[in-house]
Amino acid sequence: MTLFYHGIVLFLTINLIWYLFREKKFWAQVSTAIVLVIFLLRLFLIK
Amino acid sequence: MHARVFIKVQRHRILAVLLMGMVVIVTIITGRQYLSLHEEDVFYPSKGLSTKKRLSEYNPALRETPGDTTVYLFQGTTDGVHILILGGTHPKEPAGFLTAVVLLENIAVAKGKIFIIPQANRSGFTHNDPFEGDPQRFHVDTSGGMRSFRFGSRLTNPVHQWPDSTLFTNTAGQKLSGAEARNLNRNYPGKKRGHLTEMVAYGIIQLMEQEKIDLAIDLHEAAPEYPIVNAMVFHENSAELAAISSLNLQLEGVNLSLESSPPNLRGLSHREWGDHTQAKAVLLETANCSHGRLKGRPSARLVVEGKDKNYLKAASLGRLFVSYDPDGIPLRKRVYRHLVSVKALALALQEMHPEKSLVFIHYPNTSIILEQGLGAQLRPPAK
Repeated sequence: MTLFYHGIVLFLTINLIWYLFREKKFWAQVSTAIVLVIFLLRLFLIK
Repeated sequence: MHARVFIKVQRHRILAVLLMGMVVIVTIITGRQYLSLHEEDVFYPSKGLSTKKRLSEYNPALRETPGDTTVYLFQGTTDGVHILILGGTHPKEPAGFLTAVVLLENIAVAKGKIFIIPQANRSGFTHNDPFEGDPQRFHVDTSGGMRSFRFGSRLTNPVHQWPDSTLFTNTAGQKLSGAEARNLNRNYPGKKRGHLTEMVAYGIIQLMEQEKIDLAIDLHEAAPEYPIVNAMVFHENSAELAAISSLNLQLEGVNLSLESSPPNLRGLSHREWGDHTQAKAVLLETANCSHGRLKGRPSARLVVEGKDKNYLKAASLGRLFVSYDPDGIPLRKRVYRHLVSVKALALALQEMHPEKSLVFIHYPNTSIILEQGLGAQLRPPAK
């Protein structure tokens, strides 16, 4: 189960990073960065 | 000219790199803060300690899991009554946890056995409840410096037990919301090889059976606006015990309401301990503002001092189930209440069964706690 969870979170994290570099609107980039923090904390099973 | 065009075209990418750097920095800083909650609290048991055990000795499935916790045993030279005291069932109810700590740092027993588990849900101490803004730690001043204790969550850490289903049916057959699967006080009698919280519950039940516990006390806190507060919830096998101890407490000026454990509310300690073991089962509640919905800004100070202007207002409107004045309900008063109640229960049991007595060589000085604060009965931190 945790393996699936890791897989899903990793997939979404990669998507977010890709979106962060492609997006041209400033506030959309900032929002993506904020969401990324949460995904990284989850990816490493910290929170 | 070329550089300016490059920056203009790639501006969003340069910003992305900068933001990515900030994301890494924020993740490292917050990650370290969250992970610091995995560092164990340090306790200094009294000289009366006979031995330290692990809960996994009663349920081997708990070995090397975050649910395994320390059981402190204080044993007299002769056999007598066997008592289990549980703190930290809900790690965000610090009076329950600290009462167990004050006891294990002060008691010595001449007759009988006392088992103390200060962190019953050890996993719950490793995280905070999301969106609550709770402090990670609170501090108590002792004669030799400040002691720091973790302020955890009501539930097992989801990192240790995941996922929560939408609905959860506990081992006693009660249907509850999914997150309650991580609430130790909804998981009795537990399961030998279930999910983590069930295994902890099973370990506690096994301890009670194998050690022939006569009286088991679960220490809690609740919001002042909650009706069952400053209360003793008792299993029907403990009605007489609860009545005697409550009367004796009233004579000492400590008022405690008595609540019978509802037979159709299953999975709770005061119900399942009494149904599944020979022990008399009691749960004690004190009033804690930091636990309530009416509080203002949550802080470590609120946890310790128990002062909140919203609660003063609520008290003036008659919305609370306890009296509340500008002095608040500080931690020392809440721990005092638990300590005198534990002693009253032990003495009442002795009154009912003189052959099964308990003799303390030393018990925490409750008057000193009330007058000088909790730190007066806690050991100073090691240098």
